[in-house]
Amino acid sequence: MNQSFSQKAKRFLKSWELVLICILIAEFLIFGAANEKFLRPAMLFNSMNDFMSICIISLFVTFVMITGGIDIQAGSIVGLTSIIIGVSWQDFGFNIWTAAALALVVAVICGALSGFFVAYCGVQAMVVTLGGSFLYSGIALLVSNLASTASYQGISGFPEYFKILSKYKLFGLIPSQLLIFLALVVIAYLVLHRSKYGRRIFLVGVNQQAAEYSGINTRLIIMSTYMLSAASAAVAGIVLTAYLGTSKSDLGANFTLNIITAVVLGGTLSTGGKGSVVGTALASMVIGLLRFGLPLCFKVGTQYLDIPVGILLLVVVVGRAVAANPSMAGLFAGLKKKKASA
Amino acid sequence: MPGKTLLDIKNIHKSFGMNAVLKGISLELGEGEVLALIGGNGAGKSTLMKIIMGIYHQDSGELFVRGEKVTSNKTSTALANGIYMVPQEPLLFPNMTVEENIVIGFERKASDLHRELVEVMQEVGWELELSRKASSLSIAEQQMVEILRGLLRHASILIMDEPTSALAFDETESLFKSVNELRAKGIGIIYITHRLAEVFQIATDVAIMRDGRLPIRGKVEEFTREMLVKGLLPPDTQEQEATLKEHLKKIDYENAAPVFELQNYSGYGFQDISLKVYPGEILGLAGVIGAGRTEIATTVFGRDKVLGGKAILDGRDITGLSTRKVLEAGVNYVPEDRHLHGLFKISDVAANTTSAMLDDPSMGRFFLNKKEEYRMTQKYVDDFRTKVTGQGQLVGSLSGGNQQKVVIGRSLSTSPKLVILDEPTRGIDAAARGDVYTIIHELRNQGVSVLLISSDMEEIVELSDRVMTVCQGRINGEFTGEDINQDNLMAASFGITKSAEVEA
Amino acid sequence: MKKIVKAREFSSFLFLIALFLIVGIINPSFLSADNLTACFNESVVYIIVSAGMAFAIFIGEIDVSVGANLGFTATVVSCMLRDGESWALAFAAGIAVGALIGLFNGWGVAVMGVPSLIFTLGTNGVMRGMMYVYTGGAWVENLPAAFKQLYTTTLVGSLSICFAVTAVLILLIHLVLRNTKRGKYFIAVGDNPSGATLVGIPATQTKVAAYVICGILAAIAGIVFSSRIGFVTATSGNGYEMKAVAACVLGGISLSGGVGSVIGSSIGAVIMASISRLLVFMGFGSTYDNAITGIMLIVIVVADALMQRRAAEQNRRQRLAARTAAHEKGGAAS
Repeated sequence: MNQSFSQKAKRFLKSWELVLICILIAEFLIFGAANEKFLRPAMLFNSMNDFMSICIISLFVTFVMITGGIDIQAGSIVGLTSIIIGVSWQDFGFNIWTAAALALVVAVICGALSGFFVAYCGVQAMVVTLGGSFLYSGIALLVSNLASTASYQGISGFPEYFKILSKYKLFGLIPSQLLIFLALVVIAYLVLHRSKYGRRIFLVGVNQQAAEYSGINTRLIIMSTYMLSAASAAVAGIVLTAYLGTSKSDLGANFTLNIITAVVLGGTLSTGGKGSVVGTALASMVIGLLRFGLPLCFKVGTQYLDIPVGILLLVVVVGRAVAANPSMAGLFAGLKKKKASA
Repeated sequence: MPGKTLLDIKNIHKSFGMNAVLKGISLELGEGEVLALIGGNGAGKSTLMKIIMGIYHQDSGELFVRGEKVTSNKTSTALANGIYMVPQEPLLFPNMTVEENIVIGFERKASDLHRELVEVMQEVGWELELSRKASSLSIAEQQMVEILRGLLRHASILIMDEPTSALAFDETESLFKSVNELRAKGIGIIYITHRLAEVFQIATDVAIMRDGRLPIRGKVEEFTREMLVKGLLPPDTQEQEATLKEHLKKIDYENAAPVFELQNYSGYGFQDISLKVYPGEILGLAGVIGAGRTEIATTVFGRDKVLGGKAILDGRDITGLSTRKVLEAGVNYVPEDRHLHGLFKISDVAANTTSAMLDDPSMGRFFLNKKEEYRMTQKYVDDFRTKVTGQGQLVGSLSGGNQQKVVIGRSLSTSPKLVILDEPTRGIDAAARGDVYTIIHELRNQGVSVLLISSDMEEIVELSDRVMTVCQGRINGEFTGEDINQDNLMAASFGITKSAEVEA
Repeated sequence: MKKIVKAREFSSFLFLIALFLIVGIINPSFLSADNLTACFNESVVYIIVSAGMAFAIFIGEIDVSVGANLGFTATVVSCMLRDGESWALAFAAGIAVGALIGLFNGWGVAVMGVPSLIFTLGTNGVMRGMMYVYTGGAWVENLPAAFKQLYTTTLVGSLSICFAVTAVLILLIHLVLRNTKRGKYFIAVGDNPSGATLVGIPATQTKVAAYVICGILAAIAGIVFSSRIGFVTATSGNGYEMKAVAACVLGGISLSGGVGSVIGSSIGAVIMASISRLLVFMGFGSTYDNAITGIMLIVIVVADALMQRRAAEQNRRQRLAARTAAHEKGGAAS
């Protein structure tokens, strides 16, 4: 509106999002060349089911990280959601949708609790959510003990109309999970980049003190972002439970690394104040395709997948540190010396 | 009286990019001298000190310590040469004891250090319990610890950067005692200050920096306060002041109802404050830093607890409301510390301008009304002649003056009845300062009331219709008309009332 | 004596005793000598990891890769022992691996300036994956019997040699930290980073050193771990990073850096290691383990944060109040 089209185009050409798109294209090219199966739409879309939870949660963990916090409990909330659905449906006879709603409410309360400690008590987000990940996975385990089935088996046999949540395919091709994700991307984008609430999130992340002096209730804003990320984890938990057809308490236990990598790779500043929904969405797709393509095309075992993701995270953060301060590059040489003397 | 020359600076130049900060500085410091270095913000004092400390390297010019030329520009070299700088904010380890704080970083044995430390303390006659935790020290005591660090390094040249800026009144006195003791030991001290009164209290010599040069240097006895003030000001200020004075507005104090009133207002750092601000008036609140002026403002603004009294805006009691409610009621505040409390540095100009008015319905209900945001931002950019490349420019990349214009724009965006400006021209250059003054005048002409907090007495004199002085948390003077002059205000700010002066 | 009572570790110690007493009241058999020594014996791995973590936290950072580090070194050492290498070589290799991982973390955090949580999270992922690569996902079993006995050998009564050696090690580390010049650097860097640089403390080097020490201790813990369990799986060491952080916090180490001791972290580690046992003796299943750990962690950090904030706020207010009172009182500050 206020900028000419060419200005916008110029800014886009310099943007991090473009880099991510290039990486995505490169992934398609490399994996497609290595194994043409990779490019089959049915195969590709199906694969997305496996990492869609990470994509969904990353979107809203972005909110948390923009305020300068971090959320490493989201993974444990996925498991908690899943087991609550299972137990309340199977053992308490809830309607499956009521069960899902209950799980969502519990998740939001969990998020609010952690968010409260971070925002109102001033505890480091990392430690609170670390404790939260213990607590919520612990509660999930306790809930699973209420079930009549052994916890390692999980609870299954959900009604078809629940499973349709993830089995439905638009045009017989595009899975509903992708549709849900795209809808959430749009919602997250509108909320973060177009709404007054989103503007407040950014302002809090850039300078919380200055935001306070601008009359913004920064604590409430911070707490709300943890509630949002917990809610997104619940949505992911519901969808994942429907997709797998089983409810287990340890679902999502190893999501943390992937989520944080997606958010950081998406261009969110780990010190807060900067980040974008589109970036995170693209980055989570980059990671997802990596997790799909490596085993398919290069026979990399799925247990190894934390290596490329971890390396990706390290390369991005180090690369960004170097870019932010070019003189840092000289320190590479300094380290070599130190290593030699050690 | 002065002994050997300790430090000799010859014709130093330093530029940052296009900006020449030091334009040929020469300065000598001898044994037992306390050289007061005064000068406005941006005169180049701190750059010069950083060059002496080896943090920066000069573009040209030479530095001699005890006659020997300094060749390498490292902090460790400066320390080895016996130069030590006591930073403005002491950098102690709060969880360590005093002794640990002093001896840390030395290569020598702990027992030797302890013995030497005790000796040094006896020599300067200080008493400080060595086993106390640093977190329990007052700022003056923390500064003593910093100085001891320097002495234990056998520093013969001490640089003190505005040491009294964070001190309470009695702490200042004990610091001065220490400085005198050090001088008696033959240590040379460069004493940076903004307070002219201190120059005559403590210094043996004085040097004035202005705009990257050092035009005046001499024995303190050769100067009067008026001469120093003149030396600090650019040559044409007198006339400017005269013309601005003509703008003084006549306010009918008898009949006008105040917009804003404090009644026996008390809080942390101030007590029993009563004042009134009338419509379209600039009330100057003068006082040295640490007098409690900022605390009054931030407490009114809902940032700290009110301990007693009332704040009334337009007949409405706003005592103890949250910042948000105070903003809504019609007060806005331009903070003293622009970087900490004012700016969103990695956000753009538009986001910075509108941050305080997000609650306003004109900004949209849920979605942000970008058209309105653009309009508002452009208005202030145009009105204040803020130099920006566009609304998308990040505020962190603006100059100090332009940053301040953005913050002032924000404070007006909520259409307040009262604007509190806290040190509005600190750290900004002369041209921007003129612009800010113009903005403040225009505000007044539009009928907005302004509470102007400043420790810069020239600023207060130039802008205020009426002035109250704050000293040690209390109002201790009110001045109108002809009585508003720097001498009166400075005296009152330092707690010297007219009658007391006559007696003394 | 007064100093000891005032120390933060002392309250952790009281907490430990209170905890044991309460459980002892509920179930007196908990307080038997054998059971109590078992509590200490079982905490050796935790004590060592937590001491390493303490170094990272002293400097105001964190290292969440210690779990993977522990697992990976356990894997390396166990494989070498299984394949008949000498103990000395295997141990040396394990410690070297741990030190390298620590060096890498130190480089990323201290030299490159990457936020420590994010950087070590990345390292954690990489090392976890490397464990699979190294073993192909198989368990490492059939360790020499002598190696497995290392853990169970007792010194006096049922107290193990392992615990005794660890206790001495911790005491040594503590003395070095308290009484040597360089030892004090760790705390100083965490206490006030810019102040540290000003008095000539090499902040970057100190931080790197802290991470290397953290890595080495994690490696030692990995060796003890394999001796204790007798086999290593691809998930060995999972979650130790979290428990180590919890132990440090329980032991009175402030997460903002600059406060605490390895004695504290060790007391915290004993508490952490005993939780499952405590629960069992109180009649709960060990399923409560995670939930209780989480609650304890949150309660302690929140309490700590609130107390610190209150103290800081009080300080500030006292200071401000002193200003207004200054001219009534007069006199110099002392």
